[in-house]
Amino acid sequence: MDATIKSSFTDKGSAVSNRPALLWRPTAKTGLMSWLTTVDHKRIGFLYGIFALFFFIVGGIEALFIRLQLAVPNNDVLTAEQYNTMFTMHGTTMIFLAVMPLSAAFFNYIMPLQIGARDVAFPRLNAFSLWTFLVGAIIINLGWFMKDGAPDAGWVGYAPLTSKTFNADHSIDMWVMGLQLLGVASIAASLNFIVTIINLRAPGMTMMRLPVFVWMTLVTAFLIILSFPAITIALVEVMMDRLFSTNFFEVSHGGMPILWQHLFWVFGHPEVYILILPAMGIISEILPCFSRKPLYGYPIVVFSGASIGFLGFAVWSHHMFTTGMGTVATAAFAMATMCIAVPTGVKIFNWIGTLWGGHLKMRTPMMFALGFIWMFMIGGFSGVMHAAAPADAQQQDSYFVIAHFHYVLIGGSMFALLAGIHYWFPLMFGRVVDEFWGKVSFWVIFAGFNITFFPLHFVGLNGMPRRTFTYDSNLGWNAPNQIATVGAFILAAGIGIYFTLMIYSYFKGQKVGRDHWDGRTLEWSIPNPPPEYNFKVIPQVHARDAFWYEKHNQAEIAAEKASLAKAEAEHGGIHMPFQSIWPLFCSVGLLVGAIGVSVMDHDPRPGFWGTKIAVTIIGGVILFFSAYMWALEGNEGYHLHADEDDDKGHGGKAHH
Amino acid sequence: MHSPFPSRFFRPVSQILAFASLILLSGCDLNFWKMQGHQTTMIANGPVAASQLSLFWVTVWVTLVIFIIVGAVLAYATIKFKARSDADEHAEPPPQGHGNPMVEIALIAASVFALVIISIPTLKGIWYTHDVPEAQKADAYNITATGYQWWFKFDYPEKIDGGAGLVTGNELVIPVGRPIRIQLRTVDVIHSFWVPKLAGKVDMIPNRGNFLWLQADAPGYFWGQCAEYCGDSHAVMRFRVVALAPMEFAAWVAAQKAPARNVAAAAGAAPGPRPQLATFKQNEYGYSEKWADGSPINPLQNWVDQQKPAATEDAALIAEGKALFGTKLCLACHTIRGHGAPGIAGPDLTHVGSRTTVAGGLLENTPAQLARWIAHPELVKPGNKMYASGYVPMNIKVADAEAVALAAYLTSLK
Repeated sequence: MDATIKSSFTDKGSAVSNRPALLWRPTAKTGLMSWLTTVDHKRIGFLYGIFALFFFIVGGIEALFIRLQLAVPNNDVLTAEQYNTMFTMHGTTMIFLAVMPLSAAFFNYIMPLQIGARDVAFPRLNAFSLWTFLVGAIIINLGWFMKDGAPDAGWVGYAPLTSKTFNADHSIDMWVMGLQLLGVASIAASLNFIVTIINLRAPGMTMMRLPVFVWMTLVTAFLIILSFPAITIALVEVMMDRLFSTNFFEVSHGGMPILWQHLFWVFGHPEVYILILPAMGIISEILPCFSRKPLYGYPIVVFSGASIGFLGFAVWSHHMFTTGMGTVATAAFAMATMCIAVPTGVKIFNWIGTLWGGHLKMRTPMMFALGFIWMFMIGGFSGVMHAAAPADAQQQDSYFVIAHFHYVLIGGSMFALLAGIHYWFPLMFGRVVDEFWGKVSFWVIFAGFNITFFPLHFVGLNGMPRRTFTYDSNLGWNAPNQIATVGAFILAAGIGIYFTLMIYSYFKGQKVGRDHWDGRTLEWSIPNPPPEYNFKVIPQVHARDAFWYEKHNQAEIAAEKASLAKAEAEHGGIHMPFQSIWPLFCSVGLLVGAIGVSVMDHDPRPGFWGTKIAVTIIGGVILFFSAYMWALEGNEGYHLHADEDDDKGHGGKAHH
Repeated sequence: MHSPFPSRFFRPVSQILAFASLILLSGCDLNFWKMQGHQTTMIANGPVAASQLSLFWVTVWVTLVIFIIVGAVLAYATIKFKARSDADEHAEPPPQGHGNPMVEIALIAASVFALVIISIPTLKGIWYTHDVPEAQKADAYNITATGYQWWFKFDYPEKIDGGAGLVTGNELVIPVGRPIRIQLRTVDVIHSFWVPKLAGKVDMIPNRGNFLWLQADAPGYFWGQCAEYCGDSHAVMRFRVVALAPMEFAAWVAAQKAPARNVAAAAGAAPGPRPQLATFKQNEYGYSEKWADGSPINPLQNWVDQQKPAATEDAALIAEGKALFGTKLCLACHTIRGHGAPGIAGPDLTHVGSRTTVAGGLLENTPAQLARWIAHPELVKPGNKMYASGYVPMNIKVADAEAVALAAYLTSLK
């Protein structure tokens, strides 16, 4: 496609060739270059999804190693150090590199479509978030290919185990640096989503008409921008302890290791909701669609999500009931934690209310959604048990906790995300996933998951601590561990079926027209796969389930669409942002700099830091040069006219 | 879209699953759900654990009732409103209701009520389990437990002649029926002190004066384990608690206060036939649950037996081990009172032979297991601070035969 390229440095309407060579704007619409320079929220969402699923599989393999080691007592498949690396990387990978970016994939792909927007507010910043996420993921995983190995201080990285005294090698440096980059990516993305939701809603899409998934995106984005600074501070402190011998956590010089826990969990607990709220949003989309009814108690569900977000900042110390906080603090955090059960329970009641009186279409996404409710209830109830602080003194850091949060994270978040992939697959690719094999994958995943994690409740209450590479055979832990390991492989088989099915459907799935599920929200009103500009005409929203309203008031909407289209054409057609290579280069600068900080060898004597400083500076130079180029190339775009709006796909024609 | 759900397929699938699970379970001890292990939280042998357990049951019953009610409604709604046919799916849409504020308020009120039921015993429990009750404070016995990578040290209030305190490692012996207040300290990273049958865990955190209290209702032998990830060998950082009646406890204290036992060797006697060093697999189970005749062990009786010297002792071998303890510089890190060993970096070994376990509660204290531990500590406890490629700090090597002699010596230290 040869679009008309405009630049602030040349006359309006000049072609791309007239720009200074440095400010060249890529225009490729296919091939590698089109992906590296893309600013299209759908492509970025797709890439987020692909990277996340890759790391989901990596984290899953790590989990299988963990379960193999624990299959029988006194096992020696892995050494202690390898095992500790496995569980550290499993936690880090699943939370930061699988579930969070998979949620981000949905935020990117679905949220703008649901609010009737043509892209996010800052398309290039969006690309920067994507590449920076990838860079952080690379840094964290570099250790696998180095002699120092991957990090092994636990995903919570409790000081002083992360100090140079107890972990002298580079693995911790890479973990610290990688997480900071992920923080940058997440905060940039979240600001983008917030501005998008506030500013780019289609006319008539008032806040209380937003689909619940968009609401949960908004709440999650606020949680991210408020909570990531806390862990960033903590990570910077660890980094300074390690690089510059400061004493934030250095016990021999009066450092306070407990400070790390507070900073970590001030981030870490909102993080739990960062992982679950998008899932709740997806469920709140799927249940109404397959019940053919609006969400029951929409305002209550929205306000519950927001209250969970607020309360999420007031309960961090329930991860620290055993750290000797004293009676009053323990009591306060226990009570606050129980309060969170109320809005969470309310959501479950409203989901059931949504089903009530509907016509439930038992398709695979619906199966996952119902599975989510059941599993999330179990995870939620064991969560209430943890809130009872004295009982938690027996459960903390035992396998009971492992069972609890896997019910929330797999039975909760992952079930919803898998449901979401299945649900939006026809929209994204114009093909439908086979129902029969979809249900097979659901049942195998459901069975494998429960066989794995239900027995872990028992082994935890029977006194098995987590993060242990071996256990003796005389403690009554053998049978549940053995069952859990078999279950883990069943779960893995289910995930294997699921992904095989998705790949097959991508190439060979039955082609379908738009609105495959009889959807209620705006993303279903456009052709599939969605054209680059999303909406030929920005819709006018009249009701909460906007597309459902359109479908049931077609005459009114058709007339309105025609006049809106005319008005838009008079404004010059559809405005599209230019692609850009600089977000990618900024991230490359961060990658080089991070390698300098965390991977290059350094000597404790400042005079010997040559390579380290050189590489870090090179990274910084790339970053700042790219950032300036980003600023100089400007934010213009081009206009195109969509000549057709059908299911054949990208009907856009360039405007000359 | 017509997509019939071929239930005839799922019948065989469920049968296969059921069959597979039968095979899977046939090799397992299916009593695991009773949770009667040595480290179970479901058996409370003291008031603190009992308070925590009773609160746990409150949370179980309240949440179970809610789960059954909500689950029943969910199951009912799923079955009742399921579309049963293509026609069903394409019927006129059901009424597009948006909810009912009164229903919401009622459900919120019900949730709050359920949480109040849990929160009252929670608050009571927080204050009760936090510290020894005022009325019993005067009677409390004070011990300091210190976490090391990867073992526990216990400091007693008892003074040995000369003013130093009584110190033991990895086995905490306490009197029955008295509140025990334990100061929790660490010398390196965060550890956590957990004896599930006596009390929930409290962490040992650097620069933080934590404590917990517990009490044993009756004499017993209890399993404990570090519950906070503390590096390479966290999984094998274990300990035991032995609760004794007051008289026995006093006798034990008196015995521990005494300097290390001497086994007189006849001058010039050569060691008898030296036991071979057994070979062990990585992580091999190091604790026997059975007496010599194969019947299940009584761990407390086993502990009592362990206090007495072995019936036959090779005095010459013990003398050799005692000499090696000096020449291999073991004494640089370990104390053996009366034998001139002053080190404090590692556990006090003055009466190590009277303990039922060594290597941080991991191995049974038999000469064979002791020799295994001394010959190759890095295989028993990866990353341990005693041994890198040789014994720190001088990279000292210990031959298998020497390990056997050292084990004999340490075993004699009752």
